Amino acid sequence: MNHSVERLSRNQRIQHIILLVSMIMLSVTGLVLKFHSNPFSVWLIRIEGGIWVRGLIHRIFAIILILLSLYHILWVTFTDKGHSELMALTPRGKDFSDFFRKLAYNLGLSGRQPQFDKYDYLQKLQYWGVVAGTVVMVMTGMILWFVNQSMAILPKWAIDLTLLVHGWDGVMIFIVLFVFHLYNVHLNPEVFPMSRTWLDGSISLEQLQHEHTLEYNRLMSDKKNEK
Amino acid sequence: MKNNMTVSGHSSRPAKASAAVRIFIAAAAVSMLAVLMPMKAWSQPPLYQKCLLCHGRPGFKKILPDGKVLELFVNKAELEHSIHAKLHCTDCHADVMEIPHMKVPGTVNCYRCHYKDNPNGAKPANEFFQSVHGKLDEQGDPKAPRCQNCHGGHNVQKVDSPLSTVSHLNVAYTCGKCHKPQYDNYVQSIHGTALLDRHIKSAPTCTTCHGKHLILKPDSPDSTIYPLNVINVCSKCHENKELIRKYNIPGGRISTYKESYHGIADEFGSVRVANCSSCHRAHLILPESDPRSSINKANLAKTCGKCHKDANVNFTKGKIHVNYKSKSNGILYYIGMFFEILTISTLTLLFIHILLDLFRRFKSGETKGKNKRGE
Repeated sequence: MNHSVERLSRNQRIQHIILLVSMIMLSVTGLVLKFHSNPFSVWLIRIEGGIWVRGLIHRIFAIILILLSLYHILWVTFTDKGHSELMALTPRGKDFSDFFRKLAYNLGLSGRQPQFDKYDYLQKLQYWGVVAGTVVMVMTGMILWFVNQSMAILPKWAIDLTLLVHGWDGVMIFIVLFVFHLYNVHLNPEVFPMSRTWLDGSISLEQLQHEHTLEYNRLMSDKKNEK
Repeated sequence: MKNNMTVSGHSSRPAKASAAVRIFIAAAAVSMLAVLMPMKAWSQPPLYQKCLLCHGRPGFKKILPDGKVLELFVNKAELEHSIHAKLHCTDCHADVMEIPHMKVPGTVNCYRCHYKDNPNGAKPANEFFQSVHGKLDEQGDPKAPRCQNCHGGHNVQKVDSPLSTVSHLNVAYTCGKCHKPQYDNYVQSIHGTALLDRHIKSAPTCTTCHGKHLILKPDSPDSTIYPLNVINVCSKCHENKELIRKYNIPGGRISTYKESYHGIADEFGSVRVANCSSCHRAHLILPESDPRSSINKANLAKTCGKCHKDANVNFTKGKIHVNYKSKSNGILYYIGMFFEILTISTLTLLFIHILLDLFRRFKSGETKGKNKRGE
C-alpha cells in the first residue's frame, strides 16, 4: 500500500522554490536599506557588491517575482489543478470558527481539535498574506523603481509614503514568512527540523490524517468507492 | 632765546630758570634717546635701512622688457607691522648677496624656515605640497599660488590678526582674487552675508569647508568636499546644537538626510547620489525663502530636475527633509506609526501563537514520531 500521497505537484514545487528564492533575495537586498545603520546590514550590503549592485539584484528578483505572479494568476485561472487549489485556499466561515476552536484547544479550554481540510486557516492566511503583500510590494516598488516618471504625476509626500509602505510591508512579509511560515511548516515539533513536502511534494498518510483530517477522510471514502 | 631776553631786558631770574629747563630737557632727551635708540637699532637691522634706500621710495619700479611694470616699492610701515618685522630682508630674499644687487632676485622660498620639524610651523608647508595648489606649483603652473600669494609678502601677519590676508574675515577676498566666480557667489550666500555683512564669526568662509593648506580637488576621495565627505563638512555646523540654537538654523537637516535614500546611498559610497551641495549649491547657498535660492519652491523642480529629469512642480508638494518621527509630517507620521504598531503587534501575536502551539503539542505529547493521537 502507498504510504504517502502527493500534496504539491512538481509545478507547484517549482513555483514555490522560485517564490522562496526571490523572497529571500528581495529581503536581504531590501531590508538592508530599512535597517541601514545595523552592522549586519552594512556587512550584507558589502557582500552584495555595494549599494548600486544591491539595487540591481533587488530589481532582478523583483522581475522574477512579477513573472512568477503573472504565471500564477494564469495557472489558478486556466488550469484545473490550479483552479481547484485556489478554491481549496478560499477563506470560508469555517476558517474563523477553526481559529477560535484551535485557540480554545491550545489554551486547554477544549479537548477537541478542529479538523482541517487540505489547507487550514493558517495556511490560507499565509497564502493570501503573500498575495496581498506581493500586490502591494509590486505596486509601490514600481513607483519607486520609476521614480522619475512617478515624480511627474505624484506629489513628493506620496512618494515618501510609497517608500514608507514599501519598507514596512517588506518587514511584515519577512516576519510572516520567516518567523511564522517557517515555524508552521518546518520548525514545529511534528516535522522538525524540516518538512520534506516542499522538495518531494509528498505527505505521509499518517500526517495527512493528523493535520488534514477532512481531506484524508474524503480520500479514503473515494478509495472505498473505487473498490 | 637770547634775543628774547635781550629784548625783554630781564636777565637774572628768568635766565636761571631757563638753564634749569634746558638741563631738564637735555636730560629728558638723553634718557628718551637712551631708551629709544637701542630699541630702534634692535628692531631695524642695518640691512633693512640699506634696502629701503631704494625700495623705500614710493613709486620705485622697473619696466620689464615685455612692457610690464614691476612694482618694487616696499611699504616700510607694512613691513614693520608684519610678523616678520625682526627678520633681515636677506633672510627671505636669500639670493641677494650684495647691495645694490645686480640680478633680479628670485621668488621667496618660505620653506627655508617653514620646513618639516621646524617648530616655527612646518605642517602647513608639508600639507601644501599635497594640495591642488602645491601640485600645480610643482608642475610649473605659473598661476599656481605659493605661500605669499595668500599670506602676503611683506605684510604677512598672524592668522588671527585682523590685518592678515588669511584671517577668517579676509580669506574669502584673498581666495577670490583667483576664484572670482566662486567668490561672487559666496558673498551673496547666507554664509557670506552672515560673515562679511553681519560679522558672525561662526559663519563659514572658504577654508571652513575646503581646508586651509591641504585643499584638494572635489574628485579626490581625501578632499573635504569629495561627494561622500560633504556631509561631514556641513555637519560641523549644521549638527552643532549650540550654533543651531544661537543663530536659529533649521535643525535635523543632517539626520533626515541620512535617513533618506540619498543619505543611505551616500553612506554606502555612491558618488552619484545627491549630497548637501547638489541641492543647496556649493557657494550660492541661500535660504528657502530667497527667490534666488536653488531650494526656493519656484526653483525646486529645476534643482531636482538636475538628476530626476521628469521632476516638476509636484516636488514642491511635500517636505524634502522628512522626519517620519515628527507629527508635522501628517500622514507620513501616522502611517509610519500604524505600521510600527502593526508590526510589533503581529510579531507579538505570532509568537504567542507559536508558544501556545508548542505548549499544547508538548503537553499532549504530539511531537515527532509520537503523533498517534490524531483524531
